[in-house]
Amino acid sequence: MESTFALEMESITKVFPGVRALDGVTFRVKPGTVHALMGENGAGKSTLMKCLFGIYKEDEGTIKLNGEIHHFKDSHDALQNGVSMIHQELSNVPERSVAQNIYLGREPLKKTGLIDHKRMNEDTKELLKRLEIDIKPDCRIGSLSISMQQTCEIAKAVSYNSRVVVMDEPTSSLTDNEVAHLFKIIRQLKAHNVAVVYISHKMEEIFAIADEVSVMRDGKMIGTYPVSDLSNDRLINLMVGRDANLRFPTVKSSIGEEILRVENLTALNSRSFKDISFSLKRGEILGIGGLVGAQRTELMEAIFGVRAIREGKIFIKGEEVSNITPRKAIEHGLGMITEDRRGSGIFPLLDISTNTSIASLKEYLSKIGLLQHKQLKEEAAKYNEALRTKTPTMETLIQNLSGGNQQKVIISRWLMTLPDILIMDEPTRGIDVGAKYEIYQIMCQLVEQGKAIIMVSSEMPELIGMSNRVMVLCNGRCTGMLDKQQCSQEAIMRLATQFM
Amino acid sequence: MEMKKLLNDSKKLASQYTTWVTFVGLLLLLSVLTKGNALRWNSIRNLLIAESVRSFAALGVGMIIITKGIDLSIGYVVCLTASVAASFAQNPDYASAIYAGQSFPLIVPVVAAVAAGGLFGLFNGYLIAYGKLPPFIATLGSMSIAKGLQLIYTKAAVVGSLNQNFKNISQGSVGPIPNLIIYVIIAAFIVWVVLRHTRQGTNFYAIGGNAQAARVSGINVERELMMVYTYAGILYGIAGTLLASRLGLANSLTANGMELDAIAAVTVGGVSQSGGVGSVSGMMVGVFTMGLINYGMSFLGVDSYYQQLVKGFIIIVAVYFDMKKYARRS
Ligand SMILES: Nc1ncnc2c1ncn2[C@@H]1O[C@H](COP(=O)(O)OP(=O)(O)OP(=O)(O)O)[C@@H](O)[C@H]1O
Ligand SMILES: [Mg+2]
Repeated sequence: MESTFALEMESITKVFPGVRALDGVTFRVKPGTVHALMGENGAGKSTLMKCLFGIYKEDEGTIKLNGEIHHFKDSHDALQNGVSMIHQELSNVPERSVAQNIYLGREPLKKTGLIDHKRMNEDTKELLKRLEIDIKPDCRIGSLSISMQQTCEIAKAVSYNSRVVVMDEPTSSLTDNEVAHLFKIIRQLKAHNVAVVYISHKMEEIFAIADEVSVMRDGKMIGTYPVSDLSNDRLINLMVGRDANLRFPTVKSSIGEEILRVENLTALNSRSFKDISFSLKRGEILGIGGLVGAQRTELMEAIFGVRAIREGKIFIKGEEVSNITPRKAIEHGLGMITEDRRGSGIFPLLDISTNTSIASLKEYLSKIGLLQHKQLKEEAAKYNEALRTKTPTMETLIQNLSGGNQQKVIISRWLMTLPDILIMDEPTRGIDVGAKYEIYQIMCQLVEQGKAIIMVSSEMPELIGMSNRVMVLCNGRCTGMLDKQQCSQEAIMRLATQFM
Repeated sequence: MEMKKLLNDSKKLASQYTTWVTFVGLLLLLSVLTKGNALRWNSIRNLLIAESVRSFAALGVGMIIITKGIDLSIGYVVCLTASVAASFAQNPDYASAIYAGQSFPLIVPVVAAVAAGGLFGLFNGYLIAYGKLPPFIATLGSMSIAKGLQLIYTKAAVVGSLNQNFKNISQGSVGPIPNLIIYVIIAAFIVWVVLRHTRQGTNFYAIGGNAQAARVSGINVERELMMVYTYAGILYGIAGTLLASRLGLANSLTANGMELDAIAAVTVGGVSQSGGVGSVSGMMVGVFTMGLINYGMSFLGVDSYYQQLVKGFIIIVAVYFDMKKYARRS
């Protein structure tokens, strides 16, 4: 007999030291539907899904698939039984090829017991073609952009032909076109009667793709609603449990003198950006728009000294800075929130306090050069409080925080360095709606103090709502600079696709 | 239910302090087995003395492992520095002394050995930080170089007949407390200050935890790596000096295998091979746990072949429990 639910999780409780991450959560998903799981950062969404997937063992509760009780002892077990998951954090092996990553742990074998590389590549090619993803099976996954890597993860999750597919913030680094593509894939899955659990902080996605919405808050399930019964405001209200301010703040800063100038910057890698020039003034937020692969991150990394350049000049506060390294950049008052939180953001085994203060230790030394732990802690706590980082204590290891809260710690880190110029690469990735606007508020305060911000963002509303000007890149070249009046979604898209 | 919770809580606590639990457990076991005999001050004192030189090596390699490195050259570098120290402390009337007929002030052997160790560390550090060699390979090479240098320098002979002043460095004591123990306490304190209270120490943890993030946070990763190997080299130099002084000689077998003992000790002490984790107290407890195992088994008259076996198992078990703590990263 077919059960009405593909997945039933009943009264799940999970306690971590100092946190009750899940408190008697019940969650049911029908087959052939897309079920959105919503909630603020740290509400317990990922934890619930990790219990399903056998990554965590729940303390109490039962899990049923198609009416049958299942408890997966590990992810392998879950995959074998028709549950697959796209994780919030990328979880691939960067040194191996796309095909090797997709078939990791279940490589097709030849009769001799050796890996059948040919078949693996062909199957991958087939899969990617079916999903209309334009990536070569044999290219090294680490050489792909973050968004391409995420697309591979999506392909991988689909390739298991599972009955339940969990997607934990799958679109956090996808651009609009790719999101549309993902939705096409999700509709295909739905047509095959697959149950999709969809976690995202992007409201418009929920209303575009979800059939039902379950809302969690502080480890508890608030309720499940058909999407047609919800409005944007109502949903936010359910998630946040208080009135949230959800308007872009008006930037009232006055534009001052030039603080950063970039002249004819060209990357060492000839396939990357070419001949980029722009100038940034005090009190200004410069948005950088473009599609994935437009080399926006690469450009930012070059300005911050992470990536090598072939030609070009960087002037900070009128002074030319040659052979720039991150250390020099920081000395000149730059700060950078990187795009890849896991790869170049967090120190997983250090606590929140150290993770916050690591870039500003220099400012907290006693006369004899020892660290002033007390001040460091207090100051770090102050920034995290302002951003409402949800954590039991400041001594909690950052790896134990939810994804969005890790991002808040990284933002705190750079705010604490009191930068004059802050580069923010996808700053609100994985941040819940409420906190997003708090971050916008802080950006506003910064520019009002005469600082300047460069913000790379794939979120159009954010780009348009916050920027004084938007520079658009396409295939590594600057295709235009739009000021506030000219800035619209259409104008940005036109420039972003100019060379395609 | 209550019982289960209590059990769970104590399990959690135990897993947090695996190293201490192992150490105290062993201590209790030993005192029961020997009816308290093994724990007289005299015996403890001997244990501390025996482990003191290894403590220096452990502190050095402990810092290195925190930065996600490794150092295989310890044994032969200590051997080389011991020989260098000894060569400047031989009695001038000893016919086969390396510098026969010459006598040096006491400071010379100490400075020479520390400099030799420091230079070796600098060399390792340079290869690893700027040459981008994997630490395993770089120190595998320098291990052989140190061994070669030691043989060339001493012409493969024993460097003996050391003067009493030099021997007193290790063999003397302040009241009832042997000098060696005082040196260890000082060294451990300094390393603790560096790791806990300086920017550089924090940088070591950051580099071990995520080198790319460290670089983006403005840390000079190359310089810090070079420094950590240099500090370790200096500690090996001190270890060599103290060892030569304690033994009254140095030869090509001195300190052989010390790298394995030191790495095993800090690993038992909770310094994680995956980088970014470890503390001075852990390193020291690790050293003394290993010492206690050696000493306890000798005291109980366990055959030395079996000692080796038991030691191996204990290392594996301790590290197994330690790794479980970090196994579930997400
Ligand atoms: N391994 C862990 N150890 C300790 N606490 C944890 C661990 N994993 C999660 N937590 C805590 O459980 C709570 C829920 O985290 P979870 O990752 O499920 O949040 P989330 O809803 O997915 O948030 P986000 O939107 O930021 O991804 C958080 O308070 C977090 O700090
Ligand atoms: Mg999450």
